[in-house]
Amino acid sequence: MNSATNRMNTTSLEALPSLAPPLRERIRNLVAALWSSRGSVRFGMVTIAVLILVSLLAPHIAPYGVDQQDLANVLARPNARHWLGTDNLGRDLFTRILWGGRIPLLVAAVATLVAASLGITIGLIAGLAGGWLDALLMRTADAVICFPALVFTLVLAAMIGPGIHNVILSFAVFGWTGFARITRGQVMVVRELQYIEAARAIGMSRTRLLRHHVFPNVLTPLIVACSLTAGGAILVEAGASFLGVGVQPPTASWGRELLTGFRLLEQAPQIAFASGLMVTLAVLAFNFVGDGLRDLLDPRVER
Amino acid sequence: MLSFLISRAVQASIVLCIVIVLAFCAVQMMPGDALLAAVEATGSVADSRGLDAVRKLYGMDGSPIEQFWRWLGKFVRGDWGLSMTTGQAVWDMFVQRAPVTLELFLGGLLWALVIGVPVGMVCAFRRGSRLDTWLSSASLVGIALPPTFEALALIYLLAVLFKVLPVSGYTAFATDPWANIQSMLMPTFVVGSHLAGVLARYVRSSLLDNLRQDFIRTARSKGLSEVQILFRHAVKPSMIPIVTVLGFTFGGMLAGSFIIEVIFALPGIGRMAVDSIFEKDFPVIQAVLVIASVNVLVVNFLVDIAYAALDPRIRLR
Repeated sequence: MNSATNRMNTTSLEALPSLAPPLRERIRNLVAALWSSRGSVRFGMVTIAVLILVSLLAPHIAPYGVDQQDLANVLARPNARHWLGTDNLGRDLFTRILWGGRIPLLVAAVATLVAASLGITIGLIAGLAGGWLDALLMRTADAVICFPALVFTLVLAAMIGPGIHNVILSFAVFGWTGFARITRGQVMVVRELQYIEAARAIGMSRTRLLRHHVFPNVLTPLIVACSLTAGGAILVEAGASFLGVGVQPPTASWGRELLTGFRLLEQAPQIAFASGLMVTLAVLAFNFVGDGLRDLLDPRVER
Repeated sequence: MLSFLISRAVQASIVLCIVIVLAFCAVQMMPGDALLAAVEATGSVADSRGLDAVRKLYGMDGSPIEQFWRWLGKFVRGDWGLSMTTGQAVWDMFVQRAPVTLELFLGGLLWALVIGVPVGMVCAFRRGSRLDTWLSSASLVGIALPPTFEALALIYLLAVLFKVLPVSGYTAFATDPWANIQSMLMPTFVVGSHLAGVLARYVRSSLLDNLRQDFIRTARSKGLSEVQILFRHAVKPSMIPIVTVLGFTFGGMLAGSFIIEVIFALPGIGRMAVDSIFEKDFPVIQAVLVIASVNVLVVNFLVDIAYAALDPRIRLR
């Protein structure tokens, strides 16, 4: 991994990417290096894996149906039958917490995917085209970053109605700038290198050039950005659902449960605490992993 | 320096133009039911005559281009139209609520400085120690903690369980200073703990960076004590991150106030914005959109100037 890291940060002829291992091996190396870096990163990796697994398996492992009401046991305290108690509609909180990660994780995945693909495309165009197109795209990125994303999410909700599509849409509009900057920067660096000139001289096509020489070099910084974007998306989804413009009832989502918990804070504090803890765990896990990745990539950072 | 400022100003004004057009378009795209609701609110029948009257009232008559210039002209002069729900002038609503939001973020900044700077310094001085690990992780938790959860946990602990602070609500400082401080302690802390985490990390890394610089070696070789080195030479240039955090604080002020003002029932701009979304009060939404963006632009511009003033490398680029 170390040699791969160094290669990524050099801009000289040593950076012969023909020596770069294939993609699958690079990812495996990266995961291995992450795992052995430090405790908080391992914690983040395990947490993300567990959360994804639980969300996928929720319908099979949850003790009750997600909308199943136990009207004899409304607002029950945590007990043997309902591990975390029930809410004001008699729904099992433990079940709802297990289900509640599906929407945030889905939103995080889709929002990150949309933001990343948009950003990478724009970055590639800007870096390769140069000139006025480059200037236009990058100034647009500067402009977009000035808009407050949550405000935009709310305004969208007022115009096209509440729902998680607002969160995804606002990430599509605002989330791409970081990805575009990273990609463009790397393209700018790589296109000046001599081996690229050589590759072009022997008649390598532009697509091949991108796939073999540019993309491997941007991959890892892009994964860092993905990790941090995913954490941010979970936070925005929770905020939007809490304010009532995200997920609509009766769908279970941690942010929505937080709103329930807010209304029932005195009678059933465990609702707010359980759902809040889950959001915190998820965001923290993505941030830990993103941070760990960044430290791996940047040898200058002293720990 | 001047050309740097001018290029920044030009950039900011281009962005401002885009925002203004967007805000105008947002209202043009207003769903019809909001307009019908507004007609009903005036008490007249929702026929074409009632509709025309309401359109005229909210400046929505004439061609879009005509409407745009009329709206812009009024907006610049402080005439931001009337709220569709309360009938109050939108400008007055902003002026009334701005002090609450401002107090929230000034208080948050205070917490951030009091907690973030010392934590960052301790982490840098004791780099690699267990204390550093714990405090660094704590600042990461401070950043990742969703404000919603933090606020609810604080309310439960301090207001419901131990009853030392009021659950929510707001008392103006002029009415009762002590009650005002009590009501603002928790909300400002929620704002501040996040900023403190950001600040601690920035201070730590910039202090570490500075401690490795040549001028520190020079200071050491001319025989200054470690304490003198740290406080005279290393700490001062490491305080530039405070400017960044100032930018974060006031740039994110409006968006950040939404959730916190809703939870703590503070009558600020964020609360007003959330209400206006649910009531589809488009004149208010429009103003929020413009003001939130202008706020970010102005703050970014000021941060750029501050950086240039503090760091000659940027100024001379």
